[in-house]
Amino acid sequence: MNKEQALTESRKASWSAPSFRSFKQKMIMLFPWIFGLLILLAWQYKVFHRLLKLELYQLPIPSQIAGAIREEFDVLVLYAGFTGIEIFGGFVIGSLLGFLVAIPAALFPQSGRGGVALIATLNAVPIVALAPVMNNWFGDGVSSRIGVVAALTMATMCVNAFKGMTSINPSYFELMQSYAASKWNVFCKIRLPHSKPNLFSALKINMTTSIIGAIVGEFFFASRGLGYLLSDQIKLANMPLAWACIILAAILGIGLYYLVMSVEGLFVPWRAAARKR
Amino acid sequence: MRIFLPDRRWLQTGVWVLILLVLWEGGAWSIRHVLPVTQPETKWPYLTNVLIYTFQNMGMLIRQGGITFANALSGFAIGCVIGPALAIVMSLSKTVERIVTPYVISSQVVPIVGLAPIVFGILRDADMSRIGMAAYVTFFPITINFLAGLHAVRPEHRELFASYASSKWKYYTKLAVPSALPHLFMGMKLAAPLSITASIVVELMGAPNGIGVTMVSSLYYGSSQSGLFWATVLCSAMIGLAAYLLIAGIERLVTPWQPEFRKGGGGK
Repeated sequence: MNKEQALTESRKASWSAPSFRSFKQKMIMLFPWIFGLLILLAWQYKVFHRLLKLELYQLPIPSQIAGAIREEFDVLVLYAGFTGIEIFGGFVIGSLLGFLVAIPAALFPQSGRGGVALIATLNAVPIVALAPVMNNWFGDGVSSRIGVVAALTMATMCVNAFKGMTSINPSYFELMQSYAASKWNVFCKIRLPHSKPNLFSALKINMTTSIIGAIVGEFFFASRGLGYLLSDQIKLANMPLAWACIILAAILGIGLYYLVMSVEGLFVPWRAAARKR
Repeated sequence: MRIFLPDRRWLQTGVWVLILLVLWEGGAWSIRHVLPVTQPETKWPYLTNVLIYTFQNMGMLIRQGGITFANALSGFAIGCVIGPALAIVMSLSKTVERIVTPYVISSQVVPIVGLAPIVFGILRDADMSRIGMAAYVTFFPITINFLAGLHAVRPEHRELFASYASSKWKYYTKLAVPSALPHLFMGMKLAAPLSITASIVVELMGAPNGIGVTMVSSLYYGSSQSGLFWATVLCSAMIGLAAYLLIAGIERLVTPWQPEFRKGGGGK
């Protein structure tokens, strides 16, 4: 539905029945929650188990998972902390590196474009291949996963930042040229502000890849962290605790994702407003 | 239509590749002679050595890599059907968009790849679980990008269609979908390597064949097999790259009007 249609519809609704409109909007706000609750109930009462012919040891039900979280709460929170450090550290380092590489490339786009194209192909390298290599370099501590995540996030940020800093309406450059602005001024006043939306879409993509990178990285030779616990419990066939790791990782991921979204709201308010519409 | 433009851009990329190769070999040399580290062969081998190993095991690598590639691409194809369909449904109904969006986003932060063995158990088939995982990780970037493209139709164009009183079907087939195609391909180019990654992760967690299995088994033998390990890394990078280039080539055929494909175009 487009903006105009939405406007006319809301106008129509407000003209005919204002009280009903606000009720309907409240219902729409609630829909995602109701939907989630239905899925959860269906899971708890084994609808999926019957549909897919599964046993409890293959797919534990929510109450079992909640029990596992309650029992092992301290360990889970501690490991979530480790994984969180890996995700966030790698995310920040990788995104910063990608951004710093994009700056000279955007200032000299003629020769920089080839370099960025090469970095873009790094995106095509399967990340998992990096995990054992990083373990060789940094051992089994937190830093090896930070390395994996940083390597993962760098390319996306670099490509997006370069795109944002170079795909700009040419008339802006003409205006700056008429002011005899320096390259640096053009960068600060035109390129940087105009790349903000691209930067934040890269950050959002990076946040999701960081989580997967950290967890998959922990599958190899880690001694702490949610991914380590997850692979360990799967080997022991302790599925409730394995799912508890997944749930914790998901909560961690959603929290970090919303953190990025709220920072985006501070820096690119018009975009956040467009989303709320 | 020219698929490859033999212009300065390719020359520059070539120069960059050369610089990178020199840096790589220089790095490999310096950890052996300037700053010696333990086990240099596992940490940073000479590219020439890796290439020798790759050629020695060419047949095996192509066979295993082909299995991975085929599975990943099947999953990718499924994702390419589900993703755009979901995006169109979401763009048709604000209610569906509101309900689905939070779940689509949270589905991505759930590291479901970790549950590969469970998916294995549910589907009871190595190929099916690889395909399923690949489809699962592919649909998200495609849906999100295509939806953004469908929302980004220029208002003037939309007004023109509204003034013609065009049907929903006409609006989508003649305006919204074609103008969102570049966004769709952006999503697909992100998703193609991801599908390879997902399929390799499933193999690492236990599958009978594929490049991931070769990678794990070469790791178990320690530094004696490090050449083979690096050859599998190179091979999986090549598979990822092949998937990316395949989509980029299709993009060029399907949407030749994009500015970056025109000669001398593509922004400043």
